[in-house]
Amino acid sequence: MSRRASWQEYQKDIAADRYYYARSCIRQNFFPGSEWAFLDILSNRLGIDIYDDPLHTSCTGIGYHSDVVPLETIMTVVARQFSLMAEAGYENFVSSCITSFGIYNEVLATWEEFPETEERTRRYLREATGRELVKPRSIAHTSDIIFYQREAIARKAKHRLINRHTGEPLRVVEHIGCHYAKIFPKSGIGGSEFPYVLAGMIEAWGGDVVDYPERRHCCGFGFRNYLVQANRGSSIANSHKKLESMAPYKPDFIVANCPGCAMFLDKWQYTIAEMDGMAYGADGKGIPVLTYEEMAGLVLGYDPWQLGMQFHQVDVEPLLDKLGVEYDPGAKYLGADGKYIGKPADAAINCPSQRPIYERRK
Amino acid sequence: MGKYYDMLAQDIRLVEGLKACMNCGVCTAVCPAAEFYNYDPRQIVVMVQRRDDEEIEQLLKSDTIWYCGECMSCRPRCPRGNTPGYVIQALRTLSQKLGFFTESEKGRQQLALKRLIGDNILATGYCLTPRNILPELHPEQGPVWEWIHSNDEAIYGRFSDCYGKEGAGALRAIDKESMEEIRRIFEVSGGRAFYDTIEAHSDRKAREMGYDGATQEYMMETYTLNSENHY
Amino acid sequence: MAYRVVVVGGGAAGMQTAIELKSRGIEPIIVERDIELGGKARGWYKLFPTFTHAREVIGPLAQQVKDMHIRCFYGQEVTQIAPDGVTLRSEERIPADAVVVATGFTLFDAHRKQEYGYGLYDNVITSVDLERMMIGGRVTLADGSEPKRIAILHCVGSRDEKVGQKHCSKVCCITGVKQAIELKEMYPTADVFNFYMDIRMFGPGYEELYREAQERYNVHFVRGRISEAAETINKRIQIKAEDTLTGRPLRMTVDMLVLLVGMSANYDNVKLAASAGLALAPNGYFKARDAFLGVVRSEREGIFFAGTATAPKSLADTLAEASLTASAVDAYLKEKFNIE
Repeated sequence: MSRRASWQEYQKDIAADRYYYARSCIRQNFFPGSEWAFLDILSNRLGIDIYDDPLHTSCTGIGYHSDVVPLETIMTVVARQFSLMAEAGYENFVSSCITSFGIYNEVLATWEEFPETEERTRRYLREATGRELVKPRSIAHTSDIIFYQREAIARKAKHRLINRHTGEPLRVVEHIGCHYAKIFPKSGIGGSEFPYVLAGMIEAWGGDVVDYPERRHCCGFGFRNYLVQANRGSSIANSHKKLESMAPYKPDFIVANCPGCAMFLDKWQYTIAEMDGMAYGADGKGIPVLTYEEMAGLVLGYDPWQLGMQFHQVDVEPLLDKLGVEYDPGAKYLGADGKYIGKPADAAINCPSQRPIYERRK
Repeated sequence: MGKYYDMLAQDIRLVEGLKACMNCGVCTAVCPAAEFYNYDPRQIVVMVQRRDDEEIEQLLKSDTIWYCGECMSCRPRCPRGNTPGYVIQALRTLSQKLGFFTESEKGRQQLALKRLIGDNILATGYCLTPRNILPELHPEQGPVWEWIHSNDEAIYGRFSDCYGKEGAGALRAIDKESMEEIRRIFEVSGGRAFYDTIEAHSDRKAREMGYDGATQEYMMETYTLNSENHY
Repeated sequence: MAYRVVVVGGGAAGMQTAIELKSRGIEPIIVERDIELGGKARGWYKLFPTFTHAREVIGPLAQQVKDMHIRCFYGQEVTQIAPDGVTLRSEERIPADAVVVATGFTLFDAHRKQEYGYGLYDNVITSVDLERMMIGGRVTLADGSEPKRIAILHCVGSRDEKVGQKHCSKVCCITGVKQAIELKEMYPTADVFNFYMDIRMFGPGYEELYREAQERYNVHFVRGRISEAAETINKRIQIKAEDTLTGRPLRMTVDMLVLLVGMSANYDNVKLAASAGLALAPNGYFKARDAFLGVVRSEREGIFFAGTATAPKSLADTLAEASLTASAVDAYLKEKFNIE
């Protein structure tokens, strides 16, 4: 991976402090602990000012990419978010979502290239909300921020990405959301072909990055291709293709910077196992899929259930054991009031009886 | 000749997405949809480039334009600076404006997307919320999701002080004034009208197909039907 | 006293121009940046379409330069050009009655097409690397084994606005055909695929060679540009393209991927042109005065062009053009000094 010198050509200026935080629909639904951890790491561990504004809404990006929300509408919604940021006294916009991150960059670029669209957006925003559009000074994805803090996090690390039984670095597959850098390669650290944003974290925290043939392939979400039940075959087929391609490398876990990708690569392993008994992972119990906040959180010594890792369909316990993370197995199933709320039903992917795919192939 | 092309050219995504195609195929080569469906983004771009009304009308009424997942993997590769994904977005928008989307199985699904995602935005301020990801519509989400869905307050409560309530935090309820602003944005920017267009054309088509209008039953039909004629 | 002409560049174009000038009684001086004559062709094994050894062309030219006692400066870089001479990096000035710009081209840097992983994946090589291997007498994979399946990709750094190379480099198509045949001769049972967008067989004997590649050598041609290359766990190369003639995406694993790198304008053309008051074409090559009647003349009297300084050309075309350049210089000097 150190041979990936090309990443140096794609660095962007990221503000060091004073961020306005925009939450993600998918991340807060499926990884609420990750959003909590991101804010906690920045505020309480690194002493960085980040503002969690109760007033912003969804960017409507999933609606836009499902082609039901028009371009003019999403531009105005985006303009409102920017105005809220300015009103709160911030100018560095940080997005938790990759779809939104793509949208924000795209909208700014469109305003630049087609100034009449910016004028129209200003008019709509004024008419609808009485607010004035103020453009941000910088746009970053939350993974960019963690990337820039990776050394600071490494200095405070409680665990490294090392298998404590063997002393070997963990083998990590990184998956980058398509809209992180495919729309604007210069908007992503490392560009679109060899993004370095997650690889840099993995390296800084002691792991080995796995490169595999389908690394750049989409997770398969494809908006309408997942959202409409009739189309889900397309979605799962693409995840399947990635999982097949990475399986021979025996990754210890997958990490993604896009909340959707992290969720799909996790859930589709369950579905594939239910459909045809294929279970990935060295122990046949699936390959855990982490968000980078979870990865950073584990490195910093956060409790896995506080990080929300009970939301995963593929059990993370085998990985926690490799990392040497101490956890209370029972606390996984506690509710907000500390009471046990029952367990999810068993699934093929969580049963150890499966034999790993690459063993069956031999 | 060129009427539909001229309409498409009103959309800046067409202007940005199609300069000139030389048929090299790098877009199709990495297209997740092309691998799964009988689909070729290069050929769509070339069809639009030909500016033939009859051909474009056929395209606007076909399943073909609805296979793309808008991942934009095509964009960084094109040696001519085209973005087939943007061309698709322009085609889909026009297809809905003209009501042509109801002529194809995949196109008719826009009603489901409008109701599931579109309406949720106006109701909650989010594209999706835990309570509208129904396990019965999402069997692939598995037992953990079922567990979360049926214990949502207890589980989300561990991560957010304001699950479903106003305040700052994950899955907070969005305040009334912000919701009002979002709805007004949809009014003035044409978002609401676009929703209405999808409903109106779907209603017409549903009646044509023997439904009593764009009912829940018709919507579920568009959501679940797969004729398997797409590969 | 003979008129003196500085020829900037001692590749095929510069040598041929100098030889022709000398035989017309003019005194050429070659200024070469490298430590010997020959230019890019020195790194080539055999030439299309005849499979003539490159050294059998470059060698005699260099010998002739030597035999004719043409003065050569080696390891000297020209930093400024004017109709009355050139200035070297050492600030030495060489006065002249006319100057010929025969500075050639720069090979496209394949690292810039990051999606192909050149420099990262051992079995992704360029057409130039392949020539080097052939000069060395053995073409193998990085681990020393024989390739059984090889893909040759056309237009790497050509016809590609993403890397600022909108032009066609002209010679890569026929080079791909030539190299495919050479590989098949070396490894008759190997499968060799050419991935192309258009096969541009512009020269004498080229189309015939293309046909021979198919008919006699069973070289495969796929109409589609490779979109990305990735390494598999056994160090093979997975490639993705579209077979545009059937309209289906195509994924294939090969042992070796050869990138036919195109011809870029030299980076320092900008500075040289500015120093001489010359114009550059949008693709960075020197701009000829006229596309028909002034292909070897610049927009300034007394400065001439030869070879690939103005556009990608084959070696044969370069040599033919160099003679034309010499004749144009001769005519210019006669006119200028007879009138004065």
